[in-house]
Amino acid sequence: MRYARAPRRVFEAEASWVACTVLFFCTVYVILDTDVLWSAFGIAALSLYILPIVSKRDPFQALPWEMTLLLSSPIVLHISEGSRALSGAVGWWDDFTSLSFALSFATIGFLLTMELHMYTDVRMNRSFSVFFVIMFTIAISGFWQVGEYLSDVLAGTDNISSNSQVMNQFLWAAVGGLVMGFVYGAYIKAMPRSRREVLGLIHFWEVPGWKRD
Amino acid sequence: MEARLKLISRAMQAGMAAVALAGAVTGNLTWVPVAVISLVVSEIPPLLRRDLRLVLPVELNLWIVLALFLHVLGGFSGFYDNLPGWDHLTHAMSSSLIAALGFVTVVALDKYVGSIYLPGSFIAFFIVMFTMAMGVSWEVMEYVVDEVTGSNMQYSLSDTMVDLLFDAFAGFIVAAYGAYYLRHTSPDHFVESLQLVEAKAKIEAAIRR
Repeated sequence: MRYARAPRRVFEAEASWVACTVLFFCTVYVILDTDVLWSAFGIAALSLYILPIVSKRDPFQALPWEMTLLLSSPIVLHISEGSRALSGAVGWWDDFTSLSFALSFATIGFLLTMELHMYTDVRMNRSFSVFFVIMFTIAISGFWQVGEYLSDVLAGTDNISSNSQVMNQFLWAAVGGLVMGFVYGAYIKAMPRSRREVLGLIHFWEVPGWKRD
Repeated sequence: MEARLKLISRAMQAGMAAVALAGAVTGNLTWVPVAVISLVVSEIPPLLRRDLRLVLPVELNLWIVLALFLHVLGGFSGFYDNLPGWDHLTHAMSSSLIAALGFVTVVALDKYVGSIYLPGSFIAFFIVMFTMAMGVSWEVMEYVVDEVTGSNMQYSLSDTMVDLLFDAFAGFIVAAYGAYYLRHTSPDHFVESLQLVEAKAKIEAAIRR
């Protein structure tokens, strides 16, 4: 509450809300479209976004806007007609969407570790957290592809065209997960203390000096 | 009980040795290297126990030998080609093995690393994710090897997907069994029975020497 009126805090929160609004409306869209997997994605991402706000009862307790933006990027690409047109016209566009998907899942993994530290007894050290983010991204990508495949087989959708398409997704998930695992490790170190205080996220992973008794 | 499990392990090792020998004698060399490597790998836990005093749970030891044995048996007898689902069986065996080794590792981390605390429910979640991540990495490895060497490890999309489904299944089973195991034996007791501290002391002594 000490920072509630600081202009910087208002600016940070507003930028974050804008990014989240995109995520929110995309989620509503995929739910109305009964797109089960993407609805699950949107709801999970929104829950992770909302949780700190609800638990602190403070709308300014928003996540950093750049993380929110990464979180919402793949769902925007998924529903956008423009993206679909580009996928046909530009050779690397599908790789780009796969990568944005991986970055988003790495972000979910990161938020998960962060919120596990905020709300549960779980304590990880830095290297374990980095490993967890990488592993989480790859694993979720696996579950996701299995989900799309099952939906193809059981509900007659047309998500997956070939084995190599799936492998391409996995490769990008591995690349995105690896990169983002280390990026988030560095991100926590690099973010200035003043901004951490503005965001209300003093320690992301590590509770300083915490030792198991 | 333990003696009987050991006997079963020995019998399966003898089977693998027989496959290697029979293949060498009849000039049918395709599966000989695999049988020999599997035999060597199946001797690793006993060696760890003898030289490092590192003790894996007996069930896990048996599981390791069984997975290797089924793989060698399937290759030698042509089950991989003739018995539908054999590859999925061995795949499920090996992914449950990975899951179990992940479980042992993560429980040991929880106990010995002071800056880490992982409650049982998180460990279960971790195992499921870990197994899936390893399964995906495995499939990617197969794909890359196929692309580079022109081999044919990955048959089709549905084959890959069923493999991943079995990975997920094995992950859930091991996570559930691990949670049960930790609830019914004390985690401290479980980790201490692995004798990691003794193994670490042995390794350090070996390095110093």
